[in-house]
Amino acid sequence: MKTNSPWNRREFLRTASAATLSALAAGYARPLLAKEAEPKIKPTADTLIVLWMAGGMAHTETFDPKRYTAFEKGLDSNKVLSTFPSMDTAVDQIKFSAGLERIGRVMDRGTLIRSYTAGDLGFILHSRHQFQWHTGYAPPQTVATPHIGAVIARTLGPLNPAVPAFIDVGQRFDLGEGEELKAFHTAGFLGSEHGPFVISNAEQAAESVRPPAGMSPARFENRNRFYRTLLAKSPMGEWGSDYQKESLLRSLDNAHRLLSSPAAKAFDLSLEPKESYDLYNTGKFGLGCLLARRLTEVGARFIEVTTEYVPFMNWDTHENGHTRMVDIKKQIDAPIAQLVLDLEARGLLNRTLIVLASEFSRDMITEGKPDKKVKDQVIVPEVINDLKYYGMHRHFTDAGCVLLFGGGIKKGHLHGLTAEERPCKTIQDRVVIEDLHATIYQAMGISPKLAYEIEKRPFYVTRDGLGKPIMALFG
Amino acid sequence: MQFNCPKLTAILFVSGCTLALAKMTPEQVLTLPPPASHPVEFGKEIKPIFEASCVKCHGRGKAKGSFSLENRAAFLKGGDSGSAVVPGQSTNSYLIELVAGIDPDNVMPQKGSKLTSIQVGLLRAWIDQGLLWDESVTFAKPRPANFTPRRPELPAARAAASHPIDVLLQSYFEKQKTTPPEPVTDPVFARRVYLDVLGLPPTPEELEQFIADPRPNKRERLVRFLLARPEDRSKVAYQSAALVQRRAENRHRYAQHWLAFWNDLLRNYYKGPGDIDAGRKPITGWLYSALATNLSYDQFVAQLVNPNEYSEGFARGIVWRGVVNASQTPQMQVAQNISQVFMGVNLKCASCHDSFINDWALSDAYGLAGIYADAPLEMFQCDKPTGKTAALKFLYPELGEIDPKAPKAERLRQLAEIITKRENGRLTRTVVNRLWARLMGRGLVEPVDEMENPAWHPDLLDWLAEDLVDHDFDLKHTLEIILTSRAYQLPTVKPNEEAGSSFVFGGPVVRRLSAEQFVDAVAALTGVWHLLPASTDFNLSAGQTPGTESSPPVSPKWIWKNADASRTAEAETIYLRKAVYFSDIPAAAAMVAACDNSFTLYINGKSVTSNSELQKPKMVDIRSYLSQGTNVFAVAAANASVSKPEKGDPPDNPAGFWLYAYVRGSRGTTPENAESAWDFGSDHSWLWSAAKADQWEKPEFAATNWAAAVEIGEVDAAPWNLQQKLKPAMTCVAQYGHVRASLVNADPLLTALGCPNREQVTTSRPSAATTLQGLELTNGATLAEQLKRGAERWVKQQPSSGRDLAVRLYRQGLGRPPTAEELRLAEELIGSPVQQEGVEDFLWAMTMLPEFQLIY
Repeated sequence: MKTNSPWNRREFLRTASAATLSALAAGYARPLLAKEAEPKIKPTADTLIVLWMAGGMAHTETFDPKRYTAFEKGLDSNKVLSTFPSMDTAVDQIKFSAGLERIGRVMDRGTLIRSYTAGDLGFILHSRHQFQWHTGYAPPQTVATPHIGAVIARTLGPLNPAVPAFIDVGQRFDLGEGEELKAFHTAGFLGSEHGPFVISNAEQAAESVRPPAGMSPARFENRNRFYRTLLAKSPMGEWGSDYQKESLLRSLDNAHRLLSSPAAKAFDLSLEPKESYDLYNTGKFGLGCLLARRLTEVGARFIEVTTEYVPFMNWDTHENGHTRMVDIKKQIDAPIAQLVLDLEARGLLNRTLIVLASEFSRDMITEGKPDKKVKDQVIVPEVINDLKYYGMHRHFTDAGCVLLFGGGIKKGHLHGLTAEERPCKTIQDRVVIEDLHATIYQAMGISPKLAYEIEKRPFYVTRDGLGKPIMALFG
Repeated sequence: MQFNCPKLTAILFVSGCTLALAKMTPEQVLTLPPPASHPVEFGKEIKPIFEASCVKCHGRGKAKGSFSLENRAAFLKGGDSGSAVVPGQSTNSYLIELVAGIDPDNVMPQKGSKLTSIQVGLLRAWIDQGLLWDESVTFAKPRPANFTPRRPELPAARAAASHPIDVLLQSYFEKQKTTPPEPVTDPVFARRVYLDVLGLPPTPEELEQFIADPRPNKRERLVRFLLARPEDRSKVAYQSAALVQRRAENRHRYAQHWLAFWNDLLRNYYKGPGDIDAGRKPITGWLYSALATNLSYDQFVAQLVNPNEYSEGFARGIVWRGVVNASQTPQMQVAQNISQVFMGVNLKCASCHDSFINDWALSDAYGLAGIYADAPLEMFQCDKPTGKTAALKFLYPELGEIDPKAPKAERLRQLAEIITKRENGRLTRTVVNRLWARLMGRGLVEPVDEMENPAWHPDLLDWLAEDLVDHDFDLKHTLEIILTSRAYQLPTVKPNEEAGSSFVFGGPVVRRLSAEQFVDAVAALTGVWHLLPASTDFNLSAGQTPGTESSPPVSPKWIWKNADASRTAEAETIYLRKAVYFSDIPAAAAMVAACDNSFTLYINGKSVTSNSELQKPKMVDIRSYLSQGTNVFAVAAANASVSKPEKGDPPDNPAGFWLYAYVRGSRGTTPENAESAWDFGSDHSWLWSAAKADQWEKPEFAATNWAAAVEIGEVDAAPWNLQQKLKPAMTCVAQYGHVRASLVNADPLLTALGCPNREQVTTSRPSAATTLQGLELTNGATLAEQLKRGAERWVKQQPSSGRDLAVRLYRQGLGRPPTAEELRLAEELIGSPVQQEGVEDFLWAMTMLPEFQLIY
């Protein structure tokens, strides 16, 4: 366990041991030691930020541009690989699609993977691929599979005991596929202690760590004081001391500590200086990045910020791909670059791993993989006469981009290669989900072979314990 | 499950491929360890080798490569690669070639360490000496535990114990050298039993009535009153109408409490993963009625295993779009779920490969799954096809055979019959153990899904299981037996299972209120319940004693413009209007409507809802649209066109609209309070027009020249025959404002408190409180809103002083008066005259007390 954090270590140990006690009492999953005597992995990052491009981010329109074909009536759709020109980045050998200039300027701080390949899950369902990306396993499963954030929360615990270890920013669950999204936004069998602290809207994050609406801080404190007194005076009798009571009181204590701790201020974006706030404020996602930065500063362990999955919205471009891409790029370019720069300026980037990813890529023609095509979900005319058909509208699983910054990852590095012609598929250094997870876990100091026991059998944090960290990505 | 697969794939497939049975060359024979020179003793020298190195794959019901060494005959028979041994000739025995590692790529055992030369020598000598095998030694699958029905003799009752459970426990306590303490007091008992049977704490009146009851058997009477098992008419005739009514209510309060338990077990929900592609089918209506009518457990299981259209959701499983792992097809899901839920058997590992954690083999899982398959189901091992199919069978073939040639419907009938057979003592043990665990905080067998484990009191488990059978599989009987035992009435203990120590029963374990119990308990304290259920499938009039049913004050009709619309009507949109008068602002108002083919509803000119799914009646909260005085309901009802066949007459095209509105004034929301019951439904008092006039939906529109709608049938009118949906839906809207937590979709509060997402079967919920729960309780909007509205209600009742209100809140919330110190504190916070905020904060503090949140 890392001990050089600025937070009160005694406090942390108290919380941790209490949590362990309650976990034992409740019969939660316990970790199994990997069979091979593994050398302990030295973490290169304390905090993980996942920037989730929900809905399928086309690699040829973002971080892996191919030959540009400008729109004109009568275009042969099969010829269109990219609908934006490419542009230089801070790294010679890396070009980006136009519209991502700011991220391009910080590319020398990170690594770009161009060979991420999504699972072959048959007929595309976004939430199912997202489930697989976030847990390493494709649903349905016989046990409730934990989200990567929950695995990290369970394995490493909070970095600052006053900040929830798994924070999920930007996703609402009452929209399309909400139930399927809920299925993996969970700690599953690891126990709800490690589940996501959900902040659907970054702008309102402060509300989640504030007294209930309409309650002044003074009244809140008074209410808590009253509760303590009432509890002390309550004739406890036969329902006296036991772990149930202790666990209830501890949960309220922990909650109160967060709500009244200085860390709670990190949730309040209104405290951010206007100049800096404006740099991030490209919309909900941008403010999510700002929140991630503020939370990292106070010791968050795992934060995911999503552009939000809403069927047929955001990255889920079934039509008007080009037009919509212009707007989406505006939403992500400035805040992601700023997040990298701000963490760097604060000296936090070297201990914070930022991972930008998406469930799969998109292509104009191929649905699935070239050699494993699945049922088409989008009509694509052979000849494009209407701007609405100009864009990457089908779901492509044979390539995809992942960006990594900080946390011990190489700077200005490129990993993997895709074909220059359609299908622009992975042709070198293929990266699959268990290896990407293993790499992330490696950075966080977790073995890819770590398993938790559930129903007497091991459940590995990477699929079947087979994940291999890509050591070439580490600096 | 595929977790372990890749490591094993290689191993498993090699054994299938070793067909070539080459004789060892003389050179190879020379490399063999020499045979032992003494007479080999099978039991002492060979058996341990088999047990350590062979049995895991070739015994206990498993036969990798079709080779089993269960007994001598099987051993001699050999496997896919031919015979394993030639008696008397170890050098010609393939087994020796394998264990000696002649071919380095094909060595037995494949897992674990190789045999030593001494062990190989012993095996050689044993073969050479003629394979002497003590017949009493087998490596067959052990007989299942907790399986055969067994009726333990009840020891003679001794002083102070006459209840069968307590008689059985008497010698247990003696053996433990403990004397059980005195049972808990009346208030503690009443709170426990109300929460356990109905899921709700007793009201102050109920509690006081019970405490004041002088009868010595009042605890038994209370248990029976709460369980309210259906009675025949002759008995009901002697009961007061009020008692009949209260017992009927208890049946529903019971159903609504146990619904959460069974939703967890059967992973039923009103929405959930798989919804996107209609990949799950709720069994809500069936399950609710089964609980409300106390369907016998054998029937309950039979109807889930061999389902009807209302119960088939359980067997259909949850289907995600796309390709799924072979171990997770719907047939494999149902095999796993039947095994886990009803039999306490974990078949999850064996759905992918022969299990490493128990004796179940891949063929067992496929044998059961195949019963549900429409075509022969090929076995997949670790998601790879094997080319084999498994013989169809239930887990325990001794219970009966499945005819592999019979059609699926017949096979399911056979399966249901086999599972619910008298001889299946596992079915009953599994369920009585679940009930015991639910009421006592810990099972007789733990974990409750591993029924191979020994019970800490086998006689008690076996007796409860047989007692259930003796009482026609009546689960309420088992609940009654447990709840009336002295064991249940003991003071609670803390869980005493620190690592290494074995369990000792000393009384029920302290439990935390479930998510639903907590939300309902807060609702009982605040008077703020959920408004409408999440489904229209709950039949809240199910289980009424014949002759005592209450009926809604109106019976809506299917209406259209022409009398023969139930056969055919023009494909067109007609416009319907109805003006209703309410003398006050309605306090409760919801409606449900259905239309062939679709409708849009406006109330007072505002668009409210639309629906085009005839099979899914639309339920809507309409309170906020209504006002005092005249209210106008306007409906655009469309009959869609049907495609004409190429020749012949056009097909019939029925059309109809049906609506029921439940509306109650503030003076009362009970059906008896007729003066404020403003219910109405679709009938001939509605007006229709085929022309879409400008502003037709506005209240001020004058519907002159509109004609009276024609009634074309009652709720059960053909061709729709929707009474099975519409009648329950009517009872659902009539619950407006009094809906319990188990009937709604999980909100953030229920989720935080542990209400699971029903993607997997859940048989026990975690009991420890978490930080996220603490946060949700401390500042979550759901609870804050419930408490705020609750405080408003209490303040509205104009308590005479803060002291008066504090006393009432203590009685309502904790079932006792406050102590002097508590009263002083409460009064100070609440204020006098009472302050809304003070009441709100007091309610929060009270509901956070362990005394409120725990079942002690």
